[in-house]
This record gives sequence, structure tokens and C-alpha cells, in this order.
Amino acid sequence: MTPMNFPLPNVVPLLPEMFVAVMGMAVLVLDMFLPKGRKVLCGYAALLTCIIAGFLSLQVGTSEPVPAFYGFFVLDPFSSYAKLLIYAGTALSIILSLDYIKNEFGEGEYYSLMLFAMLGMMIMASAPNFVTLYLGLELMALSTYVLVAFQRDVLRSSEAGLKYFILGALASGVLLYGISFLYGVTGSLQFTTIGAGIAHSGSGAHFAVLLGLVFVIAGLAFKVSLAPFHMWTPDAYEGAPTPVTAFMSVAPKVAGLVILIRVLVDALPSLQVEYVTVFSWLAVLSMAVGNLAAIAQRNIKRMLAYSTIGHVGFIMLGVIAGNADGYAGVLVYMTIYLFMSMGAFAVIVLMNREGIQGELLDDFAGLSKVRPGYALAMGLYMFSLAGIPFLGGFWAKYVVFIAAVEAGHLYLALIALVFAVVGAFYYIRVVKYIYFDDTRVAFDFVENRLMQGTVAVTAVAVVAIGIYPQPVINICKAALGGII
Amino acid sequence: MDLNNVLGFPILTWSIFLPTAGAILIWLFLKNDTAVRWASLAVSVATFLVTVPLWLKFDNSTAHMQFEEFHPWIEAFNVNYRLGVDGISMPFILLTSLLTIICIVSAWDCIKVRVKEYMLAFLILETTLIGVFAALDAMLFYFFWEAMLIPMYLIIGIWGGKDRVYATIKFFLYTLGGSVLMLIALLAMYFKAGQTFDIQALMAYPFDFDWQFWVWIGFFIAFAVKVPMWPVHTWLPDAHTEAPTAGSVILAGILLKMGAYGFLRFSLPICPDASQYFVPFIVVLSLIAVVYISLVAMMQEDMKRLIAYSSIAHMGFVTLGTFMFTQQAVEGAIYGMISHGFVAAALFLCVGVLYDRMHTREISAYGGVVNVMPKFAAVMMLFCMANVALPGASAFVAEVMVLVGTFSADQLYEMVISSKWVAVMAATSVVLSACYTLWMYKRVVFGDLEKAEVKAMPDMNWRELGFFMPLILLVIWLGIYPLPVLDVMHASVANLIDQATLSKLPAAHALAQAEMLQHTVTH
Repeated sequence: MTPMNFPLPNVVPLLPEMFVAVMGMAVLVLDMFLPKGRKVLCGYAALLTCIIAGFLSLQVGTSEPVPAFYGFFVLDPFSSYAKLLIYAGTALSIILSLDYIKNEFGEGEYYSLMLFAMLGMMIMASAPNFVTLYLGLELMALSTYVLVAFQRDVLRSSEAGLKYFILGALASGVLLYGISFLYGVTGSLQFTTIGAGIAHSGSGAHFAVLLGLVFVIAGLAFKVSLAPFHMWTPDAYEGAPTPVTAFMSVAPKVAGLVILIRVLVDALPSLQVEYVTVFSWLAVLSMAVGNLAAIAQRNIKRMLAYSTIGHVGFIMLGVIAGNADGYAGVLVYMTIYLFMSMGAFAVIVLMNREGIQGELLDDFAGLSKVRPGYALAMGLYMFSLAGIPFLGGFWAKYVVFIAAVEAGHLYLALIALVFAVVGAFYYIRVVKYIYFDDTRVAFDFVENRLMQGTVAVTAVAVVAIGIYPQPVINICKAALGGII
Repeated sequence: MDLNNVLGFPILTWSIFLPTAGAILIWLFLKNDTAVRWASLAVSVATFLVTVPLWLKFDNSTAHMQFEEFHPWIEAFNVNYRLGVDGISMPFILLTSLLTIICIVSAWDCIKVRVKEYMLAFLILETTLIGVFAALDAMLFYFFWEAMLIPMYLIIGIWGGKDRVYATIKFFLYTLGGSVLMLIALLAMYFKAGQTFDIQALMAYPFDFDWQFWVWIGFFIAFAVKVPMWPVHTWLPDAHTEAPTAGSVILAGILLKMGAYGFLRFSLPICPDASQYFVPFIVVLSLIAVVYISLVAMMQEDMKRLIAYSSIAHMGFVTLGTFMFTQQAVEGAIYGMISHGFVAAALFLCVGVLYDRMHTREISAYGGVVNVMPKFAAVMMLFCMANVALPGASAFVAEVMVLVGTFSADQLYEMVISSKWVAVMAATSVVLSACYTLWMYKRVVFGDLEKAEVKAMPDMNWRELGFFMPLILLVIWLGIYPLPVLDVMHASVANLIDQATLSKLPAAHALAQAEMLQHTVTH
């Protein structure tokens, strides 16, 4: 009997993941040796990790899909680009945390958890297999539960964490249940094999496949907060420390959308008619719930939570379109949303010192008279989120709308535009507070160069992309190499 | 790409972006309010001077686009930076650059808070307005059209009157809501016409009737809100009333014209058959605007609100002329827009002069103003007469042309009722506008000088006289000698009417369509 041939797996595609995993642990160790008061160094180490991971991803990136670990991992332009967005989202959230989390209990672990959450997302983005998907998803989710509940002495923070945890665990169960149906029909967990298996399965298995589809979609829809699986979002957003809210608003959404597209394209292509129907309803519902409920909010974090739900509804138009323009549109949308959302949260954090100030809409009254710079930036983000031209948000909506119209979903685009107008109301209401109202409370700003830099960079990016979106669109189109 | 640009110099790009470039420099380098005022004035005057060659070097003999520019912008969606003007759009660019100067001068003393932001908002607004009139790519047009909302929202919201927040949010949402339907129409056309946003290519593409029908409706909602046409006009009285004086001037002078310009640039040439089909509909809405809104104007107690309603009524005249498809009516409509740009702007400035002294716009708060402000009374008299379209004023030329054009429109197509009767009904506007304008003038300017506050009002100063002077000259000049402006339009309007009256449908289909139209008309 010959010895089993057991070659060493190709580890190069996983270099960024390995690096982040090692650094996540290193930050924990660093935390033990740093004296109280100096633990902010953990934050800088985590920030550096994101930057180096970005370089590593650019280095190992390929134009063709490279499978690794016997098909349990895939490196392609699609996942590489998603990872860059995830790094950017995490890095900006870490910058927002440096001052906010300072001297909180467990400051060092905080950054370690952020890195592990990021690692989970990276694994999700590269998953060609339901096992890998589930591993990444749980790593991300578990880290995020703790981050949400991080201020354990603050009632609403622990409440938000618990709520998020219970609902999140339920969603994971639903996802697993759906996976089990797909496995039962096709005997595989590999996306492409499932895709081929479903195409060849008889009509007898159709019902089981549909059940699998519905449960998988429900599980993933929870992660990207698509209505009606959005219930956790407003509470988690409001209760979490603001930098964690910023973190949750972008990076997990990128990971969730990317893996959603991959599952649909690779595993469920023969069910396109069915999933387009499902997503059309989810999209309309999300746009309705997000944009209408946001109007009633007085807390800006809660308002932005509903706004995220609405935006994910818009993004779904790209998924529903199901063509190259649509998937590229999802990436373009997320890229631009990264800048708008991070910028808005940066301004909120800058206004936030004693825990609560800067969270109510009223707190923004008269900001333009005290800090014209922040006011201008916040105004730009809000108009951009509302989708008004010469700002990036316009092109974000434009790319998914044009993809939807191209695919023949004219009515859906029409409904989306109606909700875009409804949504404009609560964004311009923030501008109203900032520019039209008089100052009511004394402002107390955090003076932090890195954060101010974040505001400046994101504001400039929103304007620059708004005036010349071509480069972003080109990059995102090129990033489709792995899936189409 | 062969560009028709006699100057060999990107004059339209300069006209569009000079104000914004100036605004950025002012934002970065100037702190002192007085310096900001002078610098903004310099920028707006420079922009005006840059636009003057558009007039001087304009070739009246052709309907082709002139001063063209072309750069690829977003290749992924074939969206291009394509600029050019013809006889229809060129006058509006000059109107914009001229009115912006007047706006900046008129705000000199009365805007005391946040002077810098105010001036920046106006300069950026100028960029978007000129951009709308110069764009030959539908997406570029939409880009400027929507971007205009941001500065206007801030202008009304920050420097407006008591109910400014309500007014500006209403303005924003109405306009945005209308425009998004235009966006859908544009996207639908983009794929139908072979992935292009080039307006001239869209004009040439033979859309079938169903497409024209829906696209026309999409455009109509966007433009009707902007014009504004009854019944989507309700944002305008609020916005006008609450906006600062210069905001009202720009709203009445330029923004309303964007809607009617949209009809001329998109609806008529791109959807000629649908436009013909909808003529009775437009005629009814226009007549309601002319007659009913005039009556509403008569009952107003707030001067600005009265002038706002008067604007809607005058724009009803413009939309009527636009959809008559005769040379005189369309030229009259365009001429009416230019004339109204000056007259309505001047009337708002008159109210602004009074408001700066009394801080109220109530008609009943005044009376006997002529006794203390004779110069002002003379100026306001002139513009009130112009608003009534008295011979010798620019509005007279416009209204006569629209009425004559409407009267003779029967030769071209059939309508539910003879277009002669339409002309007769539209002519009531002449009487009604006299009623509300002169009655307002009487209550404000004449009468006994009873109120102590009115007695204390000083007459106009040199700055105020200064910004009225160009308006006075233009209104009288355009009233007495309209030929230079009309000459500019002739070729382009003739071309437009050819496009709008030539069916895009296959001949047999066109015949059936005409029969169907006849059918619906007779029943």
C-alpha cells in the first residue's frame, strides 16, 4: 500500500486571512502587557493590521479564481475587492473607536474582536462552500454580538447585544436548516456542485429545493438586514457603541451581499425566477420599512439604521437584475455607501463625548454656526444618501437602477424611485437641523486628528466620486472576474 | 468628432464652471463679508462677460447646435459631457448670468447673516442653471437639473421667511418627486434607443407610440412640477413667499423656465406623436392656470404670494404657446419666458425694496407709498404695466405672438374645440392680470399716507436704482424692438416645429393613430 499522497495545501491565497488571525491574537497578547491608559496602542496595532492586510490582498490578488484547500476557499477578484471594502470599513471604525473606547473596560479585547469579526467577513467573502460560509459567518456574528454589548454597564448596550444574539442565533439556525435541504437534494456543500445537482434533480425534489432556497435566503437576509428580517437592526444600532454601529453599517453588509451573490450565481442559478420573485418582495418591503420608519425617528443612530434597511433594499435591485451591471452596481453602491455612512458616523462620534450627546436629531441644531466644516461634511453625506447629483450617492442609486431597467424590472425601479423621494425627506431634515435651526445645546467636540481626517477624506471622496464616478465603476466591473 | 464651435474655446465650460471656481476660491481665501460681496460680484460679472460672446458670435441662420463641446465622462453608461446651444437655449444662459448679477447686488445690504454661504450658494446655483441649458446629454442635463436642488434648498431654508422650513422641504420633495420619473423615462429610452443619452440621437430615434406615451408622461410630470402647471403648482406660492428676495428672483426668473425649456428640448422633439396626442390635455391645464390662478392671485393679501400666482398664470400662457406647434406661438412662448424672467424678477425686487424697509409683505400694511417714495413708485408702476402686458413692454410682444399663434393653429390639427376659442379664453388673462396687478399697485402705492411706519420709509438709494436700471432698459427695449431676440430663435424654432409635427411612426400606423385620435376626440 502506497502512502497517501497528501500535498501541502496552497496557502498563498490565504495569506491575508492568516495574517489577520495572527494579529488578532497578537493584539490580545499585547493587551496583557500594556499598562492601563496605554491600551490605545492595541487600536493602532489593529489599524496597522487592516492596512497591511490591504497590501497583502493586493499582492496575492489574481485575475483568475484560485481555489485553495481542496475547494474550501477561493481567491478571485470579486472576493479581493470585497475584502478591500471590509478592510476600509473596519479601519475607519477602528479610527472612530480610538477615542470613544479609551479607558473602557476591556479596551484591548475590543480591537481583537474587531479583527476577528473582520476575519470572519474575509472568510465569508472567499467562501465557495457552505461550510466555509458558515464558519466565517459565525466568527463574524459572535464577535459582533460582543462588540454590540461592549458597554456592559449601559443597559441599552447589553439589551441590544442580547437581542442581536438571540435573533442572530435563530437566523443561523434557519440558514443551517436551509443548507441541509440543499445538501439532502444534491449531496454536496460546494456551491457549484449544488448548482449542477439542482439543475439535474427531478421535479420531485423541487419542493425541497425551494424550501432550501427560502431558508438560505432568510438566513442571509437577516445578516444584511433586509425586511422583514430587519427587526434587530434599529435596536442593535442604537444600543451599540457608535463606532460599532458604524462598523456594522458597512463591513458585514459587504460580506453578506457578496456571499449572497455568490450563492445565487453558483448554487442557485436554475432558481433565478423563484429568487427574483422573493427578492423583489424583500426589496420593496425593505425600501418601504426603511424609508417610512426612518421618518419617525428622533435618534440619528436609529434613523441611520432604518436608512441602512432602505439602502439594502435599493442594493437588491442590482441582485435582482442578475446581470454584470447589476452585480457591479452592488459593489459600486457599497463602495460609495462606505464613504457616506462612515463619514456620517464619524461626525456623530466627534460630537459625542459624555455618552449620549450627538445622538438625537435635536443635538445637531445649529451645528453650521459652530463648526461649518463638520456641518458641510454632514450636509454632503445627507444629500448623498438622499441620492442628489454631484454627490456619490446619486451614482450609487443610478447604477443599480439602470441595471434593473436593463433587466426589464421597470416597475421595481419605479417603486424604488418613489421610496428614494420618501427617503430624501428625512435626510434633508437632518440638513434642516444643521443649517436652519439655532444652536440649542452647547457643543462639545472630540478633538482627534485622525477622526477629523476621516471626515475630510470621506467628504472629498463623496464629492469626487459624484463628479467622476468612472474609475469606481471600472474597478467594480473588473472585480466581477470571479463570478461571471 | 466634428464639433461646431466657431470660437475654438470651451466657452460653455467656462460659463458653467467659472462661478463654481470663483465660489471655491472665495470659500478658501476670503473671510471679510465686504470682500466676499465684492468678489462674488466680480465673479458673476466675469461670468456674464464670458457668456456675452455666445450672443455676439451666434449664427442666426442655422438650427444646428453651436459652441459644441464633447468629452467622454462615464464610458460605462455612455454618458458624455456634451454641451452646445441653439437659438432656444442660448437666450436663457444670458438671462441666467444677468439675473445672477442682479441677485448678488440686491442682496448686498439685506443679507446680513452668513453672507459668505449665501454668495457661494448663488454662484453654485448659477453653475447648475447654466449647465441645464447647455447640456446636450440627457444624463448631464439631469445631473445639473437635480444638483440645483441643493443650493436652492439652502437658500430658501437659511435666509427665508417665517415658514421657510415647510416651504423649502415642500419645494425639494415636489421637485425631486417629479424629476425621478424623468429619470426612469430617460433610462427606458436609453436602452430603447441603443444605449445613448445624446439628446440629438434621441430626437432622431423613431420611438413607437406606446413608448412615446409613457416617456412623455414621465417628462410631463417632471416639467409640469417645475413650470409649475396647475394642479402641481402648490409648492410655488410657498417657496416664493418664504424665499429671500434674490431667491424669488432666481426662482421666477430661471427655475420656472427650466420646466418649459424641458418641454421644448425633450417632450416635443423626442415624443412628437405623444405631444400631439396630449395637446387638449395641456390646453385645459394651461387655461386653468391662466383663468383660475389669475382669480386666485386677485384674492392674495401677501404681495409675494400674489406675484407668485401671477407667475403661474403667465407660465400657463407659455405652456399654451409651446403646445400650439406654430412658429409664432412657440416663439411667443420663449419670448414670454425671457420677458417674464425680467418682469417677475423686477416685481420681486420691488417687493424686496419694500420688505427691507417695513419687514412685512402684507398689502394692507402699506398705502400711500408714492408720497414718500416717488422714484420707487415710478419703477414699480413700469413693471406692473409690463406685467399686465401693456404695449411697449416686452410681455406685450410675447402675449400677442402666443395669441396669434394659437388663433392660427387650427390649420395644423384638430382639437376638441377650435383653437380660436382657446385663444379667446387665454386672452382673458390680459384683463385678469390687469385686475390683480393694478389693484395691488393701487393699494400699496396710492391712497392716503396714514401709517406712521410708511411715512418713515426712505426712497430708493443708488444701489437699488442700479439693479433696476438694466431691467427697465431690457423690458422696454424688448417691448419696442424684439427683432434681435426673435432672429436668434427663428431657425431653431422652425426646426423644432418640423421635428414636433413630423410623426415618428410608420406611415400606416400614423394614419391609424390619427383616426384613433379623431375617434377619441369626436366621442
